Amino acid sequence: MSAGETIRLTKRIHRFPIIKESQQGVLLLLPALIVIAVFTVYPLLDGLRMALTDRNLLRDSVDYIGLDNFKRMFLDNIFWLSLEHSLVLTTVVVVLQFVLGLVLAWAMNQNLPGMGVFKSIIMASWVIPVAATVTMFKFMAQPDIGFINIALKSIGFANLNRYWFGDLTTALPFIILLHLWRNVPFYGIAFLAAMQAIPKSYYEAAEIDGAGAWDRFRHITLPGIRNMIIVMVTIHVLWTFNNFDFVWLATGGGPVNATDVLPTYVYRQSWSQYDLGYAASMGTVMLVILMVYFIVYMRVFERQERA
Amino acid sequence: MMRMRSRTRTAVLAYLIVIISLIFFILPMLWIGYTSFRTQPSIFSGQVISPSSEYTLQNYETVLSVADFPQYFWNSIEIGAIVTLVSLFASIIGAYSLSRFDIKWKNALIIGIFSTQMFPQVLLIIPMYLVVFSLSLLDKVIGVVLGQLILVLPFQIWMLKGYFDNLPLDLDEAARIDGCNIPERLLHVILPVAAPGISVAAFYSFVVSWGDYLIVSVISQSQRTATVTLIMQRLSASLLIRWGEVAAVTILAIVPTILLFSFIQGRLVAGLTAGAIREE
Repeated sequence: MSAGETIRLTKRIHRFPIIKESQQGVLLLLPALIVIAVFTVYPLLDGLRMALTDRNLLRDSVDYIGLDNFKRMFLDNIFWLSLEHSLVLTTVVVVLQFVLGLVLAWAMNQNLPGMGVFKSIIMASWVIPVAATVTMFKFMAQPDIGFINIALKSIGFANLNRYWFGDLTTALPFIILLHLWRNVPFYGIAFLAAMQAIPKSYYEAAEIDGAGAWDRFRHITLPGIRNMIIVMVTIHVLWTFNNFDFVWLATGGGPVNATDVLPTYVYRQSWSQYDLGYAASMGTVMLVILMVYFIVYMRVFERQERA
Repeated sequence: MMRMRSRTRTAVLAYLIVIISLIFFILPMLWIGYTSFRTQPSIFSGQVISPSSEYTLQNYETVLSVADFPQYFWNSIEIGAIVTLVSLFASIIGAYSLSRFDIKWKNALIIGIFSTQMFPQVLLIIPMYLVVFSLSLLDKVIGVVLGQLILVLPFQIWMLKGYFDNLPLDLDEAARIDGCNIPERLLHVILPVAAPGISVAAFYSFVVSWGDYLIVSVISQSQRTATVTLIMQRLSASLLIRWGEVAAVTILAIVPTILLFSFIQGRLVAGLTAGAIREE
């Protein structure tokens, strides 16, 4: 009998099964649950409570003021504007990312020379810090010295010269561009991974049956990557709606609120005005919107599942 | 013949998409890299190409010799490393537990953990600031780490659980019959097999921490905890921007993530989306 086996054997004898294994399983979850409880669940509950107060970092006294924050919100034009921008931005960004991601995945799925290298570098935009992405685009959008304006000038559009993030009409489209730049390759590679998991025989059978390219895409590819689509769209709706960095770092919500979204407005109310109560009440509205989305989405998805 | 022509058309279209993608996704990074080697007058000339005398390493020298920047860079690395280690520990054992054990209210727990992704961070950060403040952890590395953990943990647990679900149960079962207890099973049986997925999880948490702006901007109060993202924002928000130096800082902020990415890229998506693709 080897030493290792002896040790194992003695262990087996001495280990008393005081804790059942499934209970040990719960213990393994504890560290994560504690962090989530202290830094997510408690802050969430405290935030919901704070939405009913006039808590301000500059004052010591805190009073419950019922729904006054929500009444104030109702009359706050910037709140409505930010809400509108948030909804438009999230919808446009997720739809475009989905479509462009599919296009990219389709291209990568063609077995062509050089595609391997392309696949290996294309997701680089997803891993670099958002602050770096924003800096790069702010530089490219500079008047006179930025790449975009230099390129426009060279093809005869010198009259379009402007700071693209500082212009009332182009600032929001440029925020959309930032989102696309970061995430479309991620969509593309994720859809590609799902496409490659579809058995080749499905396509061969369809071709024998005389199905065209569109039919094959519609009836084999799309259903085949359905799960991936659901996951990507769900998490990106949440991430985009809650995203703070892109707008804050690129424009701070300006020029004159042209790019303000709910996260930046909430952030300004909390850390420039120190109006925590009002900020928390708007954060609560954001949460309610996402919960409604989540529930409706799940319902629709479940109904499709059954059908 | 028809088939041949449609094949060529497909190839042309696919390459067109590839070329446009390369211009759109890669060019901005090359452009900022190129800018980091140009002098201020050459950048402001509005020309794409300058005389060779106007290329320089001065921007990097300035950035690296300014006493603050190396400090910020180090802070970013330190915070990123601790977040990665702590979140890996918590998410590996947590995901293993959700994947292998029969726990009460398991589905509710999984949905609960996943739905924390839904909570607006700008809302959480307000009370979280007060929690960190009351623990006297403001402007401490550990305060930033605790804040960033919540950015990472839920997604990491979800993705590792998916990964573990795809590993055969027989592995654990055989080890259990051999008399291995849970830590032994995890360490000697699961970890070696799950290494590819775990390396993706580690990469994910480092990249999220390295790129975080929101949490740092609220919890950091001085250069003791300020990170590269914070300083990038300050530099490019000042009035007269020295773009050469900003470009150098940006490149220095990008390089670590790109380096790690080059090691991991082959398995990145398979790891990230393990929860979405089930092996039958």
